[in-house]
Amino acid sequence: MEEFDHEVDAPRGATSREWEVFVREDTADPLTHVGSVSAPSADIAREQAASLFARTAVTLWLCPADETHRYQTDAATLGTGKAGDDATMSVDEMESETLRGENR
Amino acid sequence: MISVSKLLCDLDAEGDGLRYDAANESTKRQIRDEKQRRPVVVWNVTKQCNLYCDHCYAAADTEIADGELSTAEGKALLDDLTDYGAPVVLFSGGEPLVRQDLEELVAYANEVGVRPVLSTNGTLITEERAQSLKDAGLKYAGVSVDGLPERNDDFRGVDGAFEGAVQGIENCLNAGLKTGLRYTITERNAADLEGVVDLLTDVGVDRFCFYHLDYGGRGTEIVDADLTPEDRRQAVKRVCDMTREYHDRGEEIETLLVGNYADAAYLVEYAREHMSEAQAQRVYEYLRVNGGDPTGERVADVDYQGNVHLTQFWQGYSLGNVRDRSFGAIWEDESNPLLTALRNREEHLTGKCADCRYAEVCRGGSRLRALTVEDDLFAPDPQCYLEDEEIHGSPPFDTGESSMAGESSAD
Repeated sequence: MEEFDHEVDAPRGATSREWEVFVREDTADPLTHVGSVSAPSADIAREQAASLFARTAVTLWLCPADETHRYQTDAATLGTGKAGDDATMSVDEMESETLRGENR
Repeated sequence: MISVSKLLCDLDAEGDGLRYDAANESTKRQIRDEKQRRPVVVWNVTKQCNLYCDHCYAAADTEIADGELSTAEGKALLDDLTDYGAPVVLFSGGEPLVRQDLEELVAYANEVGVRPVLSTNGTLITEERAQSLKDAGLKYAGVSVDGLPERNDDFRGVDGAFEGAVQGIENCLNAGLKTGLRYTITERNAADLEGVVDLLTDVGVDRFCFYHLDYGGRGTEIVDADLTPEDRRQAVKRVCDMTREYHDRGEEIETLLVGNYADAAYLVEYAREHMSEAQAQRVYEYLRVNGGDPTGERVADVDYQGNVHLTQFWQGYSLGNVRDRSFGAIWEDESNPLLTALRNREEHLTGKCADCRYAEVCRGGSRLRALTVEDDLFAPDPQCYLEDEEIHGSPPFDTGESSMAGESSAD
């Protein structure tokens, strides 16, 4: 029996809180995960999701992505590696590296 | 993307096979020699940026954001994209050059066989980084400039950004990197269009991509600065006129329009009015093969956290995350009713799009703009500038077996 011992715990949500969206298109259908929307509150998430899925869905569930624990049987799809890996410039480095046409 | 120089001036380019199934008739080495079946993937490698542009769709900021894909995860994503058959990966941001492993990722993309290209503000491309990107196998750098110096710097939030971008362009060209301009046209900078092209052709740039504003990220905050329909039509006409004038005097610049497929219909009308009926038919056939707005089909986006989006501009909704599932599995999952509806959008378009004679070459334009302005996914694109008499009636040309595109495909 699989243990679901691989957790995908990297954050989701680029500009505000992320909400996982589930819909059912008919009362006899299973609830289906259809992605996520970015919104600062559940009410706004509901509006966002409704604008995308209300045409066909009869049921809408929203779960905050940061409260959703994601487990899978296999190791992470993209392998491992600390997010960021210090690959990105610091703010000071960006400032000092930015060209402004000084040597043109 | 609609190549004005290809359609009006017969200029061959490397993207002809991707855009028009026209690889066979091009003298240029092609990105693909068959019609595109997999999306070009924009990968926002970071949300961090050294500038702060008014219209940034990614709402980028100077601080690093949580959850960026690591170098190892990025390479696994590139493997994933290669396995799925994505022809091109566009490294974007934020500003992708703030990632110091960018060259390593570009080299890896090149190694596994997905064509690496870059979208950048240009101001971090020192001589050394231009050379290291060239050495890593980068195929193209698109540098954003949005007006002559004063207007560009105002847009980008940093004094000297224009001069810095030009310096970055020169560094790319000196390193032997194919380099082009990206220019988002708004009411604020439309007047500078020809001036920027003149200035950059003198520097050595020969490829110019003109973007219409899409209403994502901070772009939603400057919708009021967008062009009126009349001004948009004039701006597109000026791009067409300018392209032909350059070609008439032997300067073969490549010009492209991006982000508004009303342009496809307009180009047919332009060719009919200013060139010939035969040219108009030829333009229409190419654009029919191109297939109109690519959202959810021929273009995809993976953001810095691995969320998959329908286009790079549609950041507020994600289909899934590549840390949970492969890109191909997410993109092929048509149990998602939104994805299915977008891929069959002709059945759902309303208003003037529902019976537009140019539906086959436009497909309703931007669904994101319709959603943002009308709160209706299948309403007409608010940026459509076609006139009523242009869109009513049967399709402008018969598209039977004898069509040029059909012959090309059968060869």
